[in-house]
Amino acid sequence: MSSSFLLDLTACIGCDGCTVACKTGNELPQDVSYIRISERVSGTFPNLVGSIDNHRCLHCADAACVNVCPTGALFQEDGLTRLNASACSGCQYCVQACPFDVPVMANGVATKCDGCRDVVRAGGTPWCVTTCPSNALMFGERADIAAEAHARATTMRAKYPNGQVYGESQAGGLGVLLVLPDDPEQLGLPRDPDIPRVTEAWQDFAQPIGLGAIGVSVLGAGVAAVIARRNHMNEMRALEEAGAGAEGNDDEVTP
Amino acid sequence: MPKVPLEITRRTLLKSGVAAGVAGAVGTNGMRGAPAFAADIREDAWYRQGEIKITYSVCDMCPWSCGMIVQSVDGVIRKVDGNPKDPKSRGMLCARGQGAVSFSQDPDRLRSPMVRTGERGEGRFREVEWDFALDLIAQEMNKIKDRAGQEAIAFFGHTSGDHWWIGHLAQAWGSPNAASPASAMCISPRDEASLLTFGFPVGGREPLDWERLEAVALIGSHIGEDARNTVMQDFANLHARAGTVVVVDPRFSTVATKSDHWLPIKPGTDTALLLAWMHVLITEGLYDADYIDRWATGFQQLEAHVQDKTPGWAAGICDLEADQIRDSVRALAAHAPRAAIMPGRHVTWYGNDTQRMRAVYLVNALLGAYGREGGIFFNRAPYIGDVPHPPYAVAGSAGGCSAEPADDGERGPLAAGPTGKVRADGVRETFLQGPTAMQELIEPMLTGQPYPIEGLICYGTNLLKSVPDPERTKEALRNLELFVAIDVLPMEHIAWADIVLPEATVLERYEDLYTMATDTPYIHLREPAVEPPYDVKPGWWIAKELGTRIGLDGFFRWEDIEEYLEIRLRSVGSSLDGIRAEGGVLIQQGRPFLEDHEDSSPFLTGSGKIELYSQTLADAGLDPLPEYEPIDEPPDGFYRLLYGRQPTHTFARTQNTPVLHDVTPENAVWLNAEEARSIGVADGAQVMLENQDGAISGPVTVKVTERIRRDAVFLAHGWGHDSEGLSRANGVGASDTKLQTSYALDPISGGAGMRVNYVRIASEA
Repeated sequence: MSSSFLLDLTACIGCDGCTVACKTGNELPQDVSYIRISERVSGTFPNLVGSIDNHRCLHCADAACVNVCPTGALFQEDGLTRLNASACSGCQYCVQACPFDVPVMANGVATKCDGCRDVVRAGGTPWCVTTCPSNALMFGERADIAAEAHARATTMRAKYPNGQVYGESQAGGLGVLLVLPDDPEQLGLPRDPDIPRVTEAWQDFAQPIGLGAIGVSVLGAGVAAVIARRNHMNEMRALEEAGAGAEGNDDEVTP
Repeated sequence: MPKVPLEITRRTLLKSGVAAGVAGAVGTNGMRGAPAFAADIREDAWYRQGEIKITYSVCDMCPWSCGMIVQSVDGVIRKVDGNPKDPKSRGMLCARGQGAVSFSQDPDRLRSPMVRTGERGEGRFREVEWDFALDLIAQEMNKIKDRAGQEAIAFFGHTSGDHWWIGHLAQAWGSPNAASPASAMCISPRDEASLLTFGFPVGGREPLDWERLEAVALIGSHIGEDARNTVMQDFANLHARAGTVVVVDPRFSTVATKSDHWLPIKPGTDTALLLAWMHVLITEGLYDADYIDRWATGFQQLEAHVQDKTPGWAAGICDLEADQIRDSVRALAAHAPRAAIMPGRHVTWYGNDTQRMRAVYLVNALLGAYGREGGIFFNRAPYIGDVPHPPYAVAGSAGGCSAEPADDGERGPLAAGPTGKVRADGVRETFLQGPTAMQELIEPMLTGQPYPIEGLICYGTNLLKSVPDPERTKEALRNLELFVAIDVLPMEHIAWADIVLPEATVLERYEDLYTMATDTPYIHLREPAVEPPYDVKPGWWIAKELGTRIGLDGFFRWEDIEEYLEIRLRSVGSSLDGIRAEGGVLIQQGRPFLEDHEDSSPFLTGSGKIELYSQTLADAGLDPLPEYEPIDEPPDGFYRLLYGRQPTHTFARTQNTPVLHDVTPENAVWLNAEEARSIGVADGAQVMLENQDGAISGPVTVKVTERIRRDAVFLAHGWGHDSEGLSRANGVGASDTKLQTSYALDPISGGAGMRVNYVRIASEA
């Protein structure tokens, strides 16, 4: 059994309803948000193309954050990645490793979306999905969500010829399937996000016997490799964006 | 298991599967199993701290008024969600609505009645008892009444409880000078144009039949930035069906990013575009001739009027291509009658606004949209009885989003007070008709003409962040004999009040039943989730206590609000328990379409038809058909100041709300990228803005963007607070109101057109 979110970026109108519902329902402290909305516009006046970024945890099946977490505070359940803050040591490995820049630190521990685990277990729907006025969010069984995503992408090709579903293959499959109005590269998403293998291998082996001295050193090496690779990815992304920028201006701002 | 209400289950595709998955998470699907502690993460969460109490209310975070379900635990409000049974929210809320919890918990709230001890504007007060404050107000009101008549006290009001003040109390007291900013500084041109053309106002909810609509045009309507919940939902559904979207806006707004046709029009030229659209519809035979023949008068005059209003003519005026004009209206017409221009909300732009709105409606009429499925439906108000009271001393004149239209429509008698004095806002002298124009009541406070306004009761209206030319408003406030402010937060105008009365938020009080005229007329309950904190009181209680002290006890013949609500609900065969059992809302039958009106015409004009040509306007010496009139150009070095919304904030009301401030902590001035290069201003620079009269506001961050024309800049409304009591919002951003020292009075509706101000980038801050 596996749950997924649908995030339809052709529908999202950037109202931040999800952001505030999440902050309120999850009692997030000031300056901490699991969702960040911004607008992405390219071209020059009056020939412009725009879309909304709705940045949030994508719940990778092959999750960098879970792979590098030395304490098991990050784990997987029901197809989503969960975070038990009380088990977090504050090492920030997840913050460094995530290819989507998701986990952040709050009060010395990492935090991120846990898919409203308690609410869902009580028979409810994640706060963000419940409130979304633009019908950009859904939550349910993965097969149903995947079918909905494809149906939407097909309909929206009338408006967005490059409209497509993102997240079925990336990072082992994302727990958030996105409907995109354009190619992922145009929207700042990696077509093939980089997920650490070294640490995953380490963690699978070392975790059952705890954090021994050898384990920690291996972990250190693994994380270093992850971060190096991630920096490389960022550079590649920057180069790609510079190339795109030659044709138009990127204007990414919070509304 | 925490008790989380199942109202939140919308869009759950699979519920039982999730529950089953919890028990069997380990090892499923090849994933790493959940650790042993997985059962109790977030163990301190609010929903584990006690029993969750559910109450029903209507959101007050903007005037749209979505039905809400409020969850509280141990006397603390924790979460709000849309009420799924409410026709407006349909179970969803926008960011502001979700911020209602934080708004109620703002530590900067007013906590006790206060009486001024310093000079007006200094903001020095002493706390007093309610009895003392109310006795003092009653005494001063009676003094003014004895000296200058009841009409010398004005009542301003906005937000959920405004009807107690600008409706019930003002009418019982006998002042026709009762006004809401929601009229003359927002929608009155829209509603007066509708009254002139169809005989009824647009009403609180623009009656587009979105469910079946196939094409929409938005002229200066910023759906998504203007976050009216239902409209965002309806637009999203239209867009998700790949419906046609035409956006006319000098700015590449959020909704323009989702449009099929974006027309980056030169500000102030919309009427030329609309006339050209009519020209295309008529000359290309795209209008609904049978419909016009059956339901409209004045077509021949209109046809002659737009004969020479070609797309080529409009293109030069509007700074658009003729093909753009032609293609966009053809795209609408291809779906007629399931196509319409959305009337919009804030339409007081240039002073010619009623005429522009008439042009909008004439296009919709040519598309055959009124009373047609997929077009524009007819609103109907829900039936509900009033609590009996003596006759009012004066007819209502406030208007606003949901009030009855003023009785001076169709040039009937003007509302007059007990001593015979009619409204002091200049209606019939400076403008034709409409609800009381709030901004026109400032001048009588200063000049005493046509007669003095000596007292002001101001409910929930930030005078210095809404009325243009705040310096003039301050002078007027200095002149008053009595200024009473009732509010939740220490907004700017509070510092000028003689007596300040702190109010409970809508989540902390009963409020009169919310009634909505629409295709499914309905009544929504507003009940408190928690007790009011500090020494604050519900507005109904304040109105009743004050009313009793000024001899109006006959208008408050009920012990408490629950008795009042029971009397009203009995008239529709319900009760407080009954409406709760119905999920907080009672829905009645509407008459939305032409076929529902076979007994009599749904158009309530003198002719019983859509009046394309307005004899009423002709008789008043005004243009009977909309004309394009050029407006002034910005002076050299200045840009036209456009303003609008952020989806996370409402008016000048929410910038201090902790969670909303956290998400959107400032506004920025949008400046065209090429223009920014030419004047050497960098993205992110901190600048001051100076207007044509030397008014300055800022510092504000520059947003250099391709998304706006070179001849205009844009600010989100409501920022630039300068009240020290607003600890988060004070001193942040620029105030559009401060830069609006000028406005153009609409000669028909009395609306205050505010897009006639210009600013320059004055300096680095």
